Amino acid sequence: MSFKHNGVEIEDTFAEGFGMWGSKIIITAASQKWADIAATSMTGFATSVIACDCEAGIESRVHPDDSPDGRPGTTVAIYGFSRGKLSQSMLNRLGQTVLTCPSTAVYNGVPAEEADEMLDIGKSIRFFGDGYQVKMRMGDGWQNRQRFWRIPVMEGEFLIEEKMGAKKAVAGGNFLIMGDSEANTLKASEAAIEAIHTVPGVITPFPGGLCRSGSKVGSTYAFLRASTNTPFCPAIKNSFKESKVPAGVNSVIEIVINGFDEASVMKAMGAGVDAATKVEGIKWITAVNFEGKLGKFQMSLKESLKGA
Amino acid sequence: MPEMKKIVLTPRGFSNIPIEAPVISPDMFAGKTLQEIRNLPIHYGNEEVPMKEYIHAQGKVAEKPEKQLIVIDGDARHIKQIGTKMSAGRIVAQGWAGMHLGAQMSGGDITVTGNALDWAGAEMKGGVIRVLGDAGNLLGGAYRGSSDGMTGGCIVVTGCAGSEVASFMRRGKIVIMGDTGDFTGVHMNGGEIFIFGKPGKRLGAQAQGNGGFIACFNGADELLPTYRYDTTYTPIFMRLYLKHLYEKLGVTKAQQFIDTPMKRYRGDLAVGGNSEILVA
Repeated sequence: MSFKHNGVEIEDTFAEGFGMWGSKIIITAASQKWADIAATSMTGFATSVIACDCEAGIESRVHPDDSPDGRPGTTVAIYGFSRGKLSQSMLNRLGQTVLTCPSTAVYNGVPAEEADEMLDIGKSIRFFGDGYQVKMRMGDGWQNRQRFWRIPVMEGEFLIEEKMGAKKAVAGGNFLIMGDSEANTLKASEAAIEAIHTVPGVITPFPGGLCRSGSKVGSTYAFLRASTNTPFCPAIKNSFKESKVPAGVNSVIEIVINGFDEASVMKAMGAGVDAATKVEGIKWITAVNFEGKLGKFQMSLKESLKGA
Repeated sequence: MPEMKKIVLTPRGFSNIPIEAPVISPDMFAGKTLQEIRNLPIHYGNEEVPMKEYIHAQGKVAEKPEKQLIVIDGDARHIKQIGTKMSAGRIVAQGWAGMHLGAQMSGGDITVTGNALDWAGAEMKGGVIRVLGDAGNLLGGAYRGSSDGMTGGCIVVTGCAGSEVASFMRRGKIVIMGDTGDFTGVHMNGGEIFIFGKPGKRLGAQAQGNGGFIACFNGADELLPTYRYDTTYTPIFMRLYLKHLYEKLGVTKAQQFIDTPMKRYRGDLAVGGNSEILVA
């Protein structure tokens, strides 16, 4: 079953999403350059929990007028399979990539009233101060109560909010862009990513948001738990019996989307598919699922396009 | 700000004998009739009398304290304890206010267009006090024998303040746009004091730490030798506070110091403290 959107065949299927825990932080720095450097370092090697400790990505840039300390900033979202794993990943990554980066400060991006849990991230990182850390308070008795830690570092002082909000989130929104050539498929994928990032609250954790080597569960090799997504590899479409690559398709790129709620992920999927189908040479769009056996969320491509 | 019901209190002339009127509070007025409010007991010297004998009340009473606005129309420097222990609502004193204004209050908002006398905001727990004139001694301080002064809330003084501002302060914020007297922040153990004028002598004497600091934006002529100079830097956390001062309290002067380097002193070493004095 399929339907057409912008003249491109869309398989009437769904992306299977999983429940994860997500958190969001705002990194500010002396300039946008350093905020981006810290955010890029923090979100490195965080594409998929298949082999990474978490999934993470840059969500947006923060204008100085909207940032907590009036400096340019970058918002980073990070996802883990449990609160504990998320917390550990945040601690490790913040400690090694943001604390070390000149001029940075870190603020909570999920306010307590929206969070399911508040994680003691800054409260743990404070021990780096070796007893010279200073507790900073704001708003007691007249505004929202906030707590920060000031940690002396060689460059000056590192400021971090005591608690970071975490909430139950949705990971694994996805769709596959199938084109007649590598060039057109890449072009369409880039357009999709640009459209996806207009939707607030989502990230695309793969490099540049794109995954060219989608995986399937299992392998012919017993020691490997995931391997190349053979049904969607055009290079073997006539050699692999169960190939799902349609005729005329010579390249496939997957986009994976994580977000704090199903609606945002669906909206991002719709925006991405809509943008991709406007590029010449795109033949098919489909999504990856496990027939609903593994994931909690079923995000239909057709439904996602309703708002596009 | 929700729509508030206003009661206007007019002092019936000035008196050299002080009046103690902790009943002037939205918590005490809300839910009562105007007649009941007029008959609330106050102390004139050592004599208990109904409020109406010295203060005229007129206006509308709210059901809940948070919707009650009390306007004091006239000189109230002889009236003590206005807004003491209030938890919500608003008081505007159009003129001076007597001692103990907003002492031990936990919420709400008090504005004094003139001066506020000693002990304003003493042992305050929450809410906001704005004094558009000068404040007296022991602003936000601890009562004698108490180990905790202010534990929350915010006081902004447009003019100057007297001695022992914020004594034994634990948490909360005090902003003085003018000068302060001696012993500002004495015994403080937490909380933030921002001075845009000149601080008096013995700033931060016997301060303990607990994240407390005094920021002086117009220099400090004399610091105790028990404060040790560490460095001159532009701390990020100060940006946060200054932004807050500007955005939440309308302290426009705060903006000009956002990138100003500050000298950091740590003490009071006489008591093993790790409080800070930051001097621009």
